[in-house]
Amino acid sequence: MTATTVEAPPAPPAPARSQRLRDPAFWADWAALVGLIGLTIVFQALNSTFLSYGNVQSILVAAAILIILSIGQTFTIATGGIDLSVASVMTFAACAFGWAFTQGWALPLCMVLAVVTGLVFGAVNGALIAKGRIPDFVVTLGSLSAASGLALILADGKPTTVISPFLLKFSTRGIGLFGWTFLLAVVIAVITHVVLFNTRFGTHVLAAGGSPEAATATGISTARIKIAVYTVSGVLAGLSGILLVARIGASSPAADTTMTLNTVAAVVLGGVSLLGGRATIVGPVLGALVLTVLVNGLTLVGVSQFYQPLAVGIVVVLAALLMRFQK
Amino acid sequence: MGASTSIRRIATLGATLTCTAAALAACGSSSSGSGPASGDPAKPAKVAAVIKGLDNPFFQTMEDGIKAGASTAGIDPTIQAANSITDTTGQADKLTALAGQDFSCYVVNPITGTNLVQGLAKLAAAKKTIVNIDSPVEEEAAQAAGATPATYIGTDNVAAGRLAGQEMVKQITSGEVAVIGGTSGDVTSGKRVEGFTSGLSSSVKVVQEVAADWNREKALTQATTVLRAHPDLKGFYVANDDMALGVVRAVENAGKTGDVKVIGTDGVEEALTSVKDGGLTATVAQYPYTIGEMGVEACAAAAAGKTLPTTVNAPVELVTQDVADQALKATPKPFGDYEDPIADLLK
Repeated sequence: MTATTVEAPPAPPAPARSQRLRDPAFWADWAALVGLIGLTIVFQALNSTFLSYGNVQSILVAAAILIILSIGQTFTIATGGIDLSVASVMTFAACAFGWAFTQGWALPLCMVLAVVTGLVFGAVNGALIAKGRIPDFVVTLGSLSAASGLALILADGKPTTVISPFLLKFSTRGIGLFGWTFLLAVVIAVITHVVLFNTRFGTHVLAAGGSPEAATATGISTARIKIAVYTVSGVLAGLSGILLVARIGASSPAADTTMTLNTVAAVVLGGVSLLGGRATIVGPVLGALVLTVLVNGLTLVGVSQFYQPLAVGIVVVLAALLMRFQK
Repeated sequence: MGASTSIRRIATLGATLTCTAAALAACGSSSSGSGPASGDPAKPAKVAAVIKGLDNPFFQTMEDGIKAGASTAGIDPTIQAANSITDTTGQADKLTALAGQDFSCYVVNPITGTNLVQGLAKLAAAKKTIVNIDSPVEEEAAQAAGATPATYIGTDNVAAGRLAGQEMVKQITSGEVAVIGGTSGDVTSGKRVEGFTSGLSSSVKVVQEVAADWNREKALTQATTVLRAHPDLKGFYVANDDMALGVVRAVENAGKTGDVKVIGTDGVEEALTSVKDGGLTATVAQYPYTIGEMGVEACAAAAAGKTLPTTVNAPVELVTQDVADQALKATPKPFGDYEDPIADLLK
C-alpha cells in the first residue's frame, strides 16, 4: 500500500530504443544530460582546452558545492516545498566554522559545528513549516535573512582567514581527475539516491510531495517528513559550508544570493517537478554540472560578462519548456 | 501634511522592519543616540550618517572612521547602514527615516548615484548640511532634487585603478593580463577597471574581463578558468581585495605564484597581510577610515560656519611588499602623508 503516485526515475527500457528516442518524454527526463552533452560539444568545438584534463578537473571541483546544495534542495522540492535559505545557511555554517577555528577548536570539532549549525537551522525551518503551518516559501525566506544576519553578527562582518593544511589538501587534491570535494559530492549523491529510492523514508518523501492528502490517509506523517527533508537540506548546507571554507581558505559572511537561485535552477534542469512527488538525484547533479559548465565554457571562450547571466537564463527556461513533455 | 507624516511613518516602519529582518546586523552597530529627544543644544553639530552595507569590511572601517572623527569633534553620531551592498531601497528608507529628525548635518554614502535622491531632497528643503562621502551623488539627480551636497569627500576610483595599471606595467613590462570585476554593470568596479586600463602601456594588453560579483569563491572559479583560457597570462587586476584573495588562491592552485601577478584594490587588512607574505603582488589602498573621519570633520566645520571645499580627494596609496609592514601598522589609517583640507579648516 505504498503510494502509487510515486514516479520512478526513467523506466526500464521496455519499448524499442528508436521509439523511445522519438518520444519527447524521454528527452524531457534527460534534459540536463542532453544539455551537458550539447554544451560540451559546443564549447569543445570553440576552444580545445575545454575538455583538457585540468579544465575538467577544475569544473568538477567548482561544481561540488552546488551539487551538494542542489541535492538538499531536491529533497525539499520533492515534497512540494522549497528551501530559499540554503546559501545563507551555508554562509552561516562557514562563519560558525571560522569562529570556532579562531577560538582554537580542533578542526574536526569546527566541522561538526558547521554541520550541526546547518542541521539546527534546517530542523527549525522544517518545524516552523510543519508545526507552525507556515508556507515553505515564507519560512525559508525569513531564515534566508536570519541566517545571513547571524553570519554577519558572528563574524563581525569580516572574513576570517582559515589556514589549515588538511583543508587545503582536501580542496586542491584528489584521485586523478576527481578532486576530493567532487568525490564527496558523488558519495553524497549515491547515498541520497539510495535513501530516496530504496528506503521507506524516500518513498514517504515522494508520496508526501505527490499527494499529501493520500499520503496522510495511508498513515504517513507529512509533518515529520517535512521536518526531515529540511533537516537534510540544512545538514547538506552545513557540509557545503565546510567545503566553502576549504575552497577559499577563509570564512566570509558576505551573502551569496545567486547560489540559492542556482540550486533551484539545477533542480529544475534535473527534471524535478516543482510541484513535488517526482524527483531524481542524478538529474539535479547533472543540472548543477550544466550550470557550472556553462559559466566555465562561456568564460573560456571569452564571451562578455554581460551575456553570461542571459545564457544561464535561456538554458534554464529551455529546460523547463522541455519538461512540459514529461509524462 | 497628514499624508507626508504617514509616509514618514511608513518609511520609519520600513526601516525598522528591514533591521529586524537582518537580525539587527546593521542596526545593532549604530550608535545609541538615535532618538531626537536626546539632543543637546550645546553641541556644535548633530550628525547622522547613512552608509553602505556593513557586510563589507570596507564600510565597517568607514563606520569606525566616522566614530573616531566624531569623538575627536565631541559629536555623538547616529550611523545607519544599508543591509547589504545591493540594498538600494533599504538605504533610501533609512535616510528618509533620519531626514525627519533634527540632525543638523547628514553624511551620506549612496549605493548608486541616485538611490538616495528622495531623502536628499527632503534634507535640502529643510536646509540641512549634506556631506557626500565615497560614492558621489549623481550631479543631475542632485540638481533636480535641489540638493547639492556641501562637499564631496572620496577617492577617485579611476585614479586608484590607474595606479594599479601603472604598477602592473612596472611588474610585467609586457604581456597579457585579465581583469576580474565586481557585479556586471557596477559603477565602482567599472571606474576602477577603466582607470586600470588607462594606466597600462601599449605592450600590456587586457585579454579578458570577467565578473565575479564581489564574491571570493566566484573569483576563484573564474580566475581558474581564465588561467586555463590564457596559459600565457602574466597578471590579474581585481576590483576589490576580497576577490583578489580568491584569485591569489587560484594562482596558487595552478602553481603559478610569482609568475602571475595579482593586484587588488581597497587595502583591507587580510590583503595587506597577503601582500606582506608574497601572495598578493600589490593592492591599491583606499582609506574608508579617513573618508569617514573627514566626513564628520566636514560637519563640524560647517557647523562652525566655515565654507567647505566642493571636492576633497581622500588619500590613495599603492601597497607593495616593501611597504606592506608599514601599511599594516598604520591600518586603518594611511601610512604616508596626505592632505586634509577639512582638518585645516578646524584648526
